[in-house]
Amino acid sequence: MSAETVHTVIDDLGALLLFTMILIVAASQIYRAIYAVAAQSFLIAVAGAVLAASTGNADLWVIAGVTLAVKAVVLPWVLHRVVQRMNVRREVEPVIPVAATLALTVVVVVMSFQLSATLGAVGRAITGNALPVGIALTLLGVLVMATQRTALTQMVGLFASENGIFFTAMAVTQGMPLIIEIGVILDVILAALVMAIMVLRVRSTVDADIADLDELRG
Amino acid sequence: MTGNRPLTLVLLEMTLLLLLGPLVTGTIQKLKARLQCRQGAGVLQPYRDLAKLLRKGTVQADTASGLFRSVPVLVLAATAAGAALVPVLRAGPPAVPLGDAVMLLGLLALARFLTAVGALDAGGAFGGMGASREMTVAPLVEPALMLVVFSTAVVAGTTELGALAAHRGTSWFPAWRAADFLGLAAMLVLLPAETGRIPVDNPDTHLELTMLHEGMLLEHSGPGLACMVLASHTRQIVTLGLVSALFFPVGPVDGAGVPGLLLGAGAFAAKLLVLATFLALVESSYAKLRFFRLPQYLGVGFVCALLALGLRIL
Repeated sequence: MSAETVHTVIDDLGALLLFTMILIVAASQIYRAIYAVAAQSFLIAVAGAVLAASTGNADLWVIAGVTLAVKAVVLPWVLHRVVQRMNVRREVEPVIPVAATLALTVVVVVMSFQLSATLGAVGRAITGNALPVGIALTLLGVLVMATQRTALTQMVGLFASENGIFFTAMAVTQGMPLIIEIGVILDVILAALVMAIMVLRVRSTVDADIADLDELRG
Repeated sequence: MTGNRPLTLVLLEMTLLLLLGPLVTGTIQKLKARLQCRQGAGVLQPYRDLAKLLRKGTVQADTASGLFRSVPVLVLAATAAGAALVPVLRAGPPAVPLGDAVMLLGLLALARFLTAVGALDAGGAFGGMGASREMTVAPLVEPALMLVVFSTAVVAGTTELGALAAHRGTSWFPAWRAADFLGLAAMLVLLPAETGRIPVDNPDTHLELTMLHEGMLLEHSGPGLACMVLASHTRQIVTLGLVSALFFPVGPVDGAGVPGLLLGAGAFAAKLLVLATFLALVESSYAKLRFFRLPQYLGVGFVCALLALGLRIL
């Protein structure tokens, strides 16, 4: 594949990643958010495979495969199971109206594009729009974590944020050392497991959610 | 600007859209029925409905003014005029300047406005309800559609639909830029809203408080109702034609003569079938959204369209 093609494909994947992120931000049901984050991870895996094919970096193939298996299949499945086990309300109730979050989304995306346009020579060394899209995904993941009340939707935000960092790292460095990527993935798995167990425990003992912890007094 | 579509071709395309509109609705209903394991009515059922309505007499509310009687004709005329602006058989600007995509959206908005005015004029409770709801949804859908059009027009340097389609040429997904994907995503989100289908509106109900478009038609009867129904069929096929003109190649640009036109017609039919299948799938797999959830759903389309335009400019 020529550099031009890779450039275009990464750009296109970036647009689709942004679309999945908008779906996560606007998701009215928790299952939709989970499916959207699974689709997002799948697109990250595809991006990894494209970069692997273009750079000939064997590590990237492994990373794409691991991403596909762990982030696009296993973690959404875990989240899905937790939602089923908890028997919670499936409708998502954010702290601020979704319309406001969507407006913030536009601001964040435009800002990150503007930011990376000022980078000049450094920016041109990076494949396509990977940097602004990655920054936008990371910040929007944080936005989702900040605006959601339940721990599960906050987990979805965390995964989206992590996807953003992963995408940027992959595109900027043309593949980080395998050991680091594996470490990151293991971190994510651990975080997901710890959070899933914690959510289930909190639920079963005090029947409260993260938003209720605000009212704790020391 | 001299174009390669003579006036006769434009008129032919307009007639074709008017004639094929009910067929698309019939196809969507048939597909929906098959997806739900029903036999369903034949694809020609909308034509039979129209023929039946045309034979019936007209009943009108006592409170309705003279405007009410002319509303169906005006709505159909506005929609049919919009149909003349969509390239069907061949891409490229028309030989005579007719209007551009902004004009097309304006005509569709005019038809929507007239429908709402007619519903209010008749004085029925359902009509007023439907009109109020329709006018709440319209300002959410139309600007977003406009943004999608602009995001394509920025590259082509024109808002003329035929020229836009010719600029897009025969490029397929690999040649698409990032903004095209976001634009298409926005368009697919907005498509059910503009064609009055689930999850925004339900075209199959007549006596529910949830309905938007059907509620406004309740007071019409006979040939007037036939005009309104034909106008909504045409509106649907025009919207689908807009999508295919903006995002998919509209047949050979230089395809002169009958073979080129036939090829264009075949391509257009294939595109309509794909979009109709999409609409049928969405209708069968989603429930209608609660009315106050709609801004959230349409907001997704709006943000996607805005970002598509943003990606073009930034």
